[in-house]
Amino acid sequence: MRRLILALSAGLMIAAVAPAGAQTVGFAEAIKMLSASCGKDIETYCKSATLANNGITQCLEQNQSKVSQKCNADRIVVISLIQERLAAQAAAPKECERDARQYCKGVAPGAGHLLRCLLKAEPSVSKKCNTAIDLAGYR
Amino acid sequence: MMKKTFLAAVSAAFILVPATGALAQTKLTRNEIINSLQGAQTEVNISADELQKAAIENIEKYPGANAPQSLPLADKLASLRQFNLEITFAFDSARIKPESYETVGLIADALHTPYLQGQTFFIVGHTDAKGPREYNLELSRKRAEAVREALVTTFRVPGQYLFAVGLGEEQLRDPSNPDAAVNRRVQLINIGYK
Repeated sequence: MRRLILALSAGLMIAAVAPAGAQTVGFAEAIKMLSASCGKDIETYCKSATLANNGITQCLEQNQSKVSQKCNADRIVVISLIQERLAAQAAAPKECERDARQYCKGVAPGAGHLLRCLLKAEPSVSKKCNTAIDLAGYR
Repeated sequence: MMKKTFLAAVSAAFILVPATGALAQTKLTRNEIINSLQGAQTEVNISADELQKAAIENIEKYPGANAPQSLPLADKLASLRQFNLEITFAFDSARIKPESYETVGLIADALHTPYLQGQTFFIVGHTDAKGPREYNLELSRKRAEAVREALVTTFRVPGQYLFAVGLGEEQLRDPSNPDAAVNRRVQLINIGYK
């Protein structure tokens, strides 16, 4: 329940400029919400839909008059949670560019070397970059 | 099991700092997947088409109820960074069941980290030895493709790094128990950097 409230509030905070305490959840966490809230409806109304191409969420939308209230609320939250995490991950390298240059000189990019360095340098790394790492789920 | 332990030992040098508030120990975590897959060195010279073809040829060359021997590429594959996952599909179908959405999401979580970004992965589907080999091969190929599609579309993992292959029952995990559930799996194999 607490997670749901968190998820809902995270959903409401879209487009807000990273307010203090904002957080995103991982893809597994997000999609788990879909199976938990909509699993029964999926097996009833979306027997031929697949997880690919948003087939499941589209099917649930088409059947919104029949699926449970909770599923109707959560299917929308799930989509925004996935989008938020994707956006956070896309933003992280830029948000940490300066810190990487300052604290990870000579570290070869790729294979997570820069991230490892930034995680190690956490106490010195800027708040902006540390927040970006948190939001990207990279910690 | 033996292989997993071995891989875990090899990856010791690369082990991640565990995430705070990690999930329960018994549950599969993103970091387990990362730890098993990361650390690929140079690119491996093997294509998904080549592997798919080898499995089909194995059936043509050695027909019969069960494959008499493993694929010629088996040793090469066994030496690569890899992870086995259990994903539940609807009976005789490539439709992923809701109970396995989370597992697919965990793969997405792992592949989206800088530790694994930019590396190429095979998503390999396997069945047990029940039923005809050709049928199993095709079903496992469709299932591997379904996992790939879900990762690429719903979770936006870049598609150019993911290749689906179906090996049916040609590469059993436990050849002494060909019908055992342990043989039904989706295997992620890190092919390295392009």
